[in-house]
Amino acid sequence: MSTAPRYLVGIDVGGTFTDILAYDPAEARLRSAKVPSIPGQQWRGVLDALAALGIEPDAIRAFVHGTTIATNALLERQGAPTGLVTTKGFRDVLEIGKARRLVGGLFDTGWTRPPAIVPRHLRIEVPERVAADGSVQISAQTFDFAPIAEEFSRRGIRSVAIAFMNSYVNDVNEAHAAQALKGLMPEAAVSHSAALVRERGEFERTSTCVLNAYLTPLMVEYLDTLAAALRERGVTAPVNIMGSNGGAMTLAEAARRVAGTFLSGPVGGVSGAIRVAEVAGLRNIITFDMGGTSTDVALVHGLSARMSFDNQIDAYPLQMPQLDIHAIGAGGGSVIWVGSDGTLQIGPRSAGAVPGPACYGHGGTEPTISDANLILGRLPVARPLAGGLMLDRKLAENAFRRVADVLGTTDIVALADGALRIAVAKMAGAVREVSVHRGFDPRDFSLVGFGGAGPMHIFQVADELGIPGVMIPRLPGHLCALGQMLADLRRDTVAVWGGKLSALRPGDLEAHAGAMREQAERQLRGDGIEPARQRHEFTLDIRYVGQSFTLPIPWRPGPADWTPVREAFETRHRETFGYAAADNDIEVVNIRVVSLGLVDKPELKFNPEGAGDALLERRRVWFSGWVECPVYQRDAMRAGDAFQGPAIIEEAGGTSVIPPGWSAQVHEGGSLICAASAGGSPR
Amino acid sequence: MQGEKAELGRLELIRESLVAVVNEMRANVIHSSYSSIIYEGHDFSCGLVAADGRLVAQGLDDNPIHIFAVPYSTAEIIRTFGGDIHEGDIFLHNDPYTGGTHLNDVLMLYPVFHAGALAMFAATRCHWGDVGGMTPGSLSGRVREIYQEGMRIVPTRICERGRMNEAYLDLLFANMRIAYERRGDFSTMLGTSRKAAEHLQRLFGRFGGTTLLAGVDELIARAARVMRGCIAAVPDGTYFAEGYLDSDGHGDEPLIGRLKLTIEGQRLIADFTGSSPQTMGPTNVGPAMAFNAAATMVKSFLDPHTPVNHGSFEPIEIVNPKGSFLNATLPAPCGGMVECRALMAGLVASALGQALPERRVGDLKGGANHVYLSGPSRDGGLFLMYEYPAGGTGATRCTDGNHGTRAYIEGDFNAVWSAEIVEAQCPIQVSHYGIREGSCGDGAFRGGCGIRRDLRILEAGASLSVLADKCIIPPYGVATGRGGAGNRFVVLRNGATLEPSPVPGKVGGFALAQGDVVRIETAGGGGYGDPLDRDPERVLHDVSQRYVSSEQARRRYGVVPGAGGARDDAATHLERERLRAARIMITVQAADQDEFDGPRRRLRVTPAIASRLGVSDGALVELATDTCGSALRGWVRIDAHASVVPIGPRGFAMLGAQPGSLVEIRVAPTFPA
Repeated sequence: MSTAPRYLVGIDVGGTFTDILAYDPAEARLRSAKVPSIPGQQWRGVLDALAALGIEPDAIRAFVHGTTIATNALLERQGAPTGLVTTKGFRDVLEIGKARRLVGGLFDTGWTRPPAIVPRHLRIEVPERVAADGSVQISAQTFDFAPIAEEFSRRGIRSVAIAFMNSYVNDVNEAHAAQALKGLMPEAAVSHSAALVRERGEFERTSTCVLNAYLTPLMVEYLDTLAAALRERGVTAPVNIMGSNGGAMTLAEAARRVAGTFLSGPVGGVSGAIRVAEVAGLRNIITFDMGGTSTDVALVHGLSARMSFDNQIDAYPLQMPQLDIHAIGAGGGSVIWVGSDGTLQIGPRSAGAVPGPACYGHGGTEPTISDANLILGRLPVARPLAGGLMLDRKLAENAFRRVADVLGTTDIVALADGALRIAVAKMAGAVREVSVHRGFDPRDFSLVGFGGAGPMHIFQVADELGIPGVMIPRLPGHLCALGQMLADLRRDTVAVWGGKLSALRPGDLEAHAGAMREQAERQLRGDGIEPARQRHEFTLDIRYVGQSFTLPIPWRPGPADWTPVREAFETRHRETFGYAAADNDIEVVNIRVVSLGLVDKPELKFNPEGAGDALLERRRVWFSGWVECPVYQRDAMRAGDAFQGPAIIEEAGGTSVIPPGWSAQVHEGGSLICAASAGGSPR
Repeated sequence: MQGEKAELGRLELIRESLVAVVNEMRANVIHSSYSSIIYEGHDFSCGLVAADGRLVAQGLDDNPIHIFAVPYSTAEIIRTFGGDIHEGDIFLHNDPYTGGTHLNDVLMLYPVFHAGALAMFAATRCHWGDVGGMTPGSLSGRVREIYQEGMRIVPTRICERGRMNEAYLDLLFANMRIAYERRGDFSTMLGTSRKAAEHLQRLFGRFGGTTLLAGVDELIARAARVMRGCIAAVPDGTYFAEGYLDSDGHGDEPLIGRLKLTIEGQRLIADFTGSSPQTMGPTNVGPAMAFNAAATMVKSFLDPHTPVNHGSFEPIEIVNPKGSFLNATLPAPCGGMVECRALMAGLVASALGQALPERRVGDLKGGANHVYLSGPSRDGGLFLMYEYPAGGTGATRCTDGNHGTRAYIEGDFNAVWSAEIVEAQCPIQVSHYGIREGSCGDGAFRGGCGIRRDLRILEAGASLSVLADKCIIPPYGVATGRGGAGNRFVVLRNGATLEPSPVPGKVGGFALAQGDVVRIETAGGGGYGDPLDRDPERVLHDVSQRYVSSEQARRRYGVVPGAGGARDDAATHLERERLRAARIMITVQAADQDEFDGPRRRLRVTPAIASRLGVSDGALVELATDTCGSALRGWVRIDAHASVVPIGPRGFAMLGAQPGSLVEIRVAPTFPA
């Protein structure tokens, strides 16, 4: 039965499950489903999830998809055979970079550098040269690229990366080479570095271009298959892909900028958290997404997430604007073990989905964070989890006993408690990384906990950092899909423009920014977004003259002098680096524009109208001692319901563990808003 | 027992929290500094030091060369100012004779108080791009006394109870090139220290100051117990090593470093007695560096994976008499600190390698390879480009070394600048940057190749200074593995290759002409084991990647590629038999004493052997056995009567050979064969 398209749909494909969420603003109701992911065929999981949800395909109005295709393919080295073309004299830049190790290696005599994505014999040099001022010293116009194309074809190359020196200033040679090779190798994908990165630094730009090239064929194939399958099922809505920058991108754009999709999955969680925080009236949050193997943390200030521009995946630099998400290898499945100096250690190895934590009964024998939670009474043993799994306390205890024996103790409760404290310290370190290290005090933020294990640990993390506010969104296991569902289209543009403030005129900046804005407007119109639904936000990268790194300072057209810019920069510099230098001139280095194509954001109301009888049971739970603790069922709660910790709240996809000293209230938007009592909770 | 568990958890928490402070300091320095040496080269380190000078925490990217010397500096400052340290005081130090490294590395010590008592120091050691002296950048291979290397800062209270000594700072900066950068970096260190102190105060509040400091003591005690256990597991004994620096920069005489390493239960004693006297060239170090080198190698060999604090070093004892180039006094210049430290690290590796043969590792490039290019900049000022290009790293029993990489004994800095930054900031064009093919030390596992970097000088008036070593005496191989190629710094002008100094690798202000190309070639890492035992697949892979040529594969590895680059096992077998048979083996005989001519070990060989080696009197050769910690180097003395080669007791100990046994003798080439 065809009706007017009304559903917004978000689909997040994770390592174990594919989560789908659909929202119909008219009925103000969320529908969710979870189906197993199908390794190697993510698109089938997407179709299954759609079927499980049971909505008419042609009733979908917008469809945004978070995919781990790029990340997984890189981790497993499953990208396409790739060739690299460089300036003569520079083919080894990709392999040796600036001679750093980039990953570990201190004191390790046997440390071995991860191999370059493109081996040396597939890196071919071309006699071309552009100088640092952009002048062309040796043109590529007359160079014959045919032998290179032949060599690549002979070696089965399916994707070509081109990265020339100084192309960030002038990419005429690079663009010519791209065109020539595309003509000679019509079946191959061709990436050129300046089309992806317009910033100085040949190693980072080359690496980004190679990552892009390496993953493009796979991504294009996947997107084509997915689009065809969805069309076949009757989905008429445009399909967009979540980008690492926190916005969605069209399929065509995703195929061009695969290197911009590495965080396609986790950014959904950050975006989702921003949405639910907005509903609850929060503006400054730190998102805390804890899954089975890792925890992803990001800082959101004034409802916008921080960006990071110089990133690294494994040992490979990636210069793409990404949400500044800090990941650590500590999750519910992280293994607990004893180090050589006799201290307890957590992870980074995870029991994963197979065998999983010992208490799952799937053959795991090593204790994990989940086992520790079970021993401390934070997970149920008498009833199955909301997902249907029965946990086995005996198995968890046996696993802990092995570690206890090594340490010569019998007190496994103290051991489990100690392990959790260490895990919490690591996770608090991650929160500090995105806050303290970036010049923010975490106590000015609310922590938003989600992911399968987030709500279980977030209160301890908050206590550790003295953070007084915590929020647990509804459906914590589906927040990534929520973020995808509500994502705006987004394009990031940067222009190398500026100079010393003393020599710059605000009017010139406005003229340049205006031109950037016009171009961005055109591009978004090309994506089908009318100007009325566009938003363009400017940031200036600023530093003291003589410094190299910059601080991002928001800017909008208007003021006739630089006073507000200078003041904003100095305040920020003092907060971040401990000093400001009033005598020093400051300079603008880049102008950045974030251009958004806004989707209609329905007011999110999850209408918590449960039966009201939320109490499931009472059981003993460890909080620095055994405490009689109520266990509530979240589905049964109503807006306005309030209670005190200690309390445990169970729902599909997550268990919240609220310690003594915290109070919680059900917000009309569905979230749990929690506050530490004055003075914080006892440690 | 519950108390013990809670204690473990809390200790881990304290450790994580303190390392977080250091990591935050690092990020601050990189992001707010003014000189490329810091923000691009990352030549700085941060750490936390206890009130008594013991190292509490460093980060994983911090350079042990900087940080392991901090306890010495701190001890000196405590000795100087004693109970007279107050809130609001800040100290500066760079003097090598009292615990500094070289003058460019300026340490800021920022006392942090808790409950009115000195609790800790936040330490930041940054390499300042120039600290005055004879040549731009201050480091030069040709200096004769420390006064030519810049401003010497003995322990100095730069800020007293919150009042900055502006006069002292003005004097300091007035004597340094590109002063605004120095001021900027000083502000960076100051801001970083303040933020670290704030962070520490929060931790004192969180844990309680007494609890935190007691936890620090306990962490150090635990690390010491772990290290004692590691040392106890090493076979007791006395192990010897000797090695050389090329020269002090003024003559052609090498400097010898000698080590006697004693393992006695839980004690480890590194005795450098007998090393060459201090020199008037830059190749000297103060008292901190022997400990620095030994601590780094002991940590790497015995306990590489646990976090670093002072406890790891407590069981290490150093004997190092004053007056040698490894513990120099005024006025010996100390710019070549990294070179001396690399030599000592190589000695400790060689000696420990005799005790633990399975841990042996091929030698490294031998120092920092400081390269300075300076001259008029486009805006009328001075440009200064400073790099320390990495070399190949050494092979181990089961791994090849890496090409052009910061080594395991170094912090993870950028060793060269981005070529695009060089070209945007200096009148220089980078015309080549890549792997130096064939420069690896051969072995069953080979060392990594060095790098080659060509810098074209675009404008007149520039000059070149270099301070490097292992240009004459290359990195050693282990377990019969070959040494890597040496470092090489030359200038290409009008088709000719010029040596910019009479002493290779020690260049002071060589005048460059427009159009010159400065060619830097760095050393390869030493190999492990017999190259003729190397898996032919690995050799062919190296050939396919052109790390070695097919001609080198045949000559150095005995691998004969068949049609289309596939293996040809039969031909390879024959070639390897032929090469093995062609090796020159000599009988070593016991002499009462090892024979030295000045610093040089003498190896007497017959004219026939010399002729087979293709060397004349005074050539550098080496002896290698399966068991040696490193190849034993010496200089040929042709002696018609030396039918067997006489070796003294130390030589035998180092070779691990018996009198009368046959050992291989070969030349030690500095250039890729």
